[in-house]
Amino acid sequence: MNNIYEVKNNKPYIIQEVPDLKLLNSLGIRKNVQVFKKHSYRLGGPVVIKVDMSEIALGKDIAEKIVVREAM
Amino acid sequence: MTSCHDLNEDFSSIRKKQNKILLMGNPNVGKSVFFSYLTGINVLSSNFAGTTVSYMEGKIDINGKTYILVDVPGIYSMEAVSDAEAVATRMLEGGADAVICVLDATNLERNIKLALEISQYQIPMVYALNMMDVAERHGTQINVPLLEQELGAPVIPTIAVKGEGFAELKNALGTVLQGGREAGLSCHCPGCKDGSCQCSRLSGGDPWERAGEITRKVRKTSQGKQSFLDLLGEQMIKPFPGIFISLAIMVLALGVIVGGGKALRAALLLPLVSQVIVPFFRGIFASFIPEGVLLNVLIGEYGIFVISFEWIIALILPYVFLFYVVFSFLEDSGYLPRASVMFDNIMRKIGLQGGSLITITMGFGCAVPAIIGSRAATTKKERLMVSAAVCFAVPCISQTGALISLLGSHSMWLLAAMFLLAISILVMVSLVTNKILKGQLEPLIIEVPNLLLPSRKAYFKKLWIRMRHFLMEAEVPMLIAIVIAAVLKETGLLDFLAVFLEPLISGWLGMPKEAVIALVLGIVRREMAAAPLLALDLNPLQIFVGATVALLYLPCLSVFGILTKEFGVKTAVTIALSTTATAFLIGGIINKMGLLFI
Repeated sequence: MNNIYEVKNNKPYIIQEVPDLKLLNSLGIRKNVQVFKKHSYRLGGPVVIKVDMSEIALGKDIAEKIVVREAM
Repeated sequence: MTSCHDLNEDFSSIRKKQNKILLMGNPNVGKSVFFSYLTGINVLSSNFAGTTVSYMEGKIDINGKTYILVDVPGIYSMEAVSDAEAVATRMLEGGADAVICVLDATNLERNIKLALEISQYQIPMVYALNMMDVAERHGTQINVPLLEQELGAPVIPTIAVKGEGFAELKNALGTVLQGGREAGLSCHCPGCKDGSCQCSRLSGGDPWERAGEITRKVRKTSQGKQSFLDLLGEQMIKPFPGIFISLAIMVLALGVIVGGGKALRAALLLPLVSQVIVPFFRGIFASFIPEGVLLNVLIGEYGIFVISFEWIIALILPYVFLFYVVFSFLEDSGYLPRASVMFDNIMRKIGLQGGSLITITMGFGCAVPAIIGSRAATTKKERLMVSAAVCFAVPCISQTGALISLLGSHSMWLLAAMFLLAISILVMVSLVTNKILKGQLEPLIIEVPNLLLPSRKAYFKKLWIRMRHFLMEAEVPMLIAIVIAAVLKETGLLDFLAVFLEPLISGWLGMPKEAVIALVLGIVRREMAAAPLLALDLNPLQIFVGATVALLYLPCLSVFGILTKEFGVKTAVTIALSTTATAFLIGGIINKMGLLFI
């Protein structure tokens, strides 16, 4: 199982599991949604993903709990 | 009449009011700009989520009838995740005549999803499709008539920062209000009208599914053009060179404030005060008041008319002005959320998260809006941690001005050392509060907005509101402090206090006993704990000790008030006592250690 924190940048992914957090849901970070991983930051920094047209930064602790698979 | 209300305030008053129109939408879609335009009331807006954490109301005339327009905090959903969302939900439940729902054209799906949730409350709606210019530049085409049809209510394209589309929006609102409830209702089945709506078109199913479906129908995307700002925004969010750009902007901002403030003070304001204003008043008063206590109180060394101009205009105003020049620009541009992303890793190590950086930066202006702004935090622990950090280690801009004058007058190294000391205290406070306070911190979840060049009109308006606010807000307590200073000094009460506090001030801190005035006035305002030291002939160690005590000393009366209101008396007293105790402890240690080396 891969989480969005560890997977490679600059690729599209489909979210398979996401913590039950209302804020994530209302930002559109939901199961079966395609996202694009843009950046990750060193020393425990966040990741930046693109959801629909918006860019969202997710802290390490939450990003590690978002399980994804590569989109075809 | 306008008023700003608090989240914690009782809602019954506004919920009972008739003729209400609610202004709603996602965070950072420009609601505050709509509010300012529609009511003529000035609201501060910025380019990151969560500017409106309490709500504003103002009057708006439509069809010759006066309505109350309520600027509801920006929300992502109706699920009441944060305090702000809880407010919005309760507002809607209270009912209204209409809702203006602002949609961000660059983020259509998410915005439609919220719109669908709001429309379930069966209140007539009008949609403002904002940021159409940015969307078009990014290659997004939106079929507005089709969107109207899908949402079942008028959709008006707008560019709020340029004031485009407001007249049309007001017209549409007029039509909806005249047409009664059905006009702006999202669905028109018979059930909707008698309130027993069973229609599945909007209310049934997952709002996300429906939002995705509508978005796919009405939106066409093509390869957009990237403007210079888009490219810069892209570079600023990349780990490299983003971190360097962020740091460079920070250094530049500090340079403008510190260097520019010094220049402004030396070249313009100080000569103005000492050569024009003070002699002018001295001439007037000396002409009819005989020499003595009264003349001294007015125009002597600590005279009201000397000190008030010297401190307010020459000492503090240049820094306050330049801080807001820089901060308002950064706030509108979308830099702050990018910096939050860049420094999240460091903030995380001390127990906070990147988003708190915005609140802490706000604290450099004034702790009061920072503590109010911390409401955007999702946990109480984070709110308390950030508020404590701001009260301890972040000097407000007035105090920063006084500290720059005090330390920088001797050497820039002292100023740099103070900067490092403040950062170490900030880290210590975060580590300690993180240990003591129970609960969890939510990790960073923040939207990175488009990088924008602030609209000139909105920018200058904001600067003007802030300066006016500072002058009105600061003047009264400052004058009170100055009057106290003049009276204490001229009546000899100060000497009495100085003898009483001598063991602490001279014995432990190594300061001359005259420094007692700083401790007395520091209770009223923070910069007053530093400004009086300027008039004393201090050595570098005494300057540094004095500045340390001033930095950490009591939060000012307004901050104490807001702490009490937000967290209760117990927390406010705890914070005030700990900052003061730390002030004397660290000040004394620095003095004793310094004496060993000198």
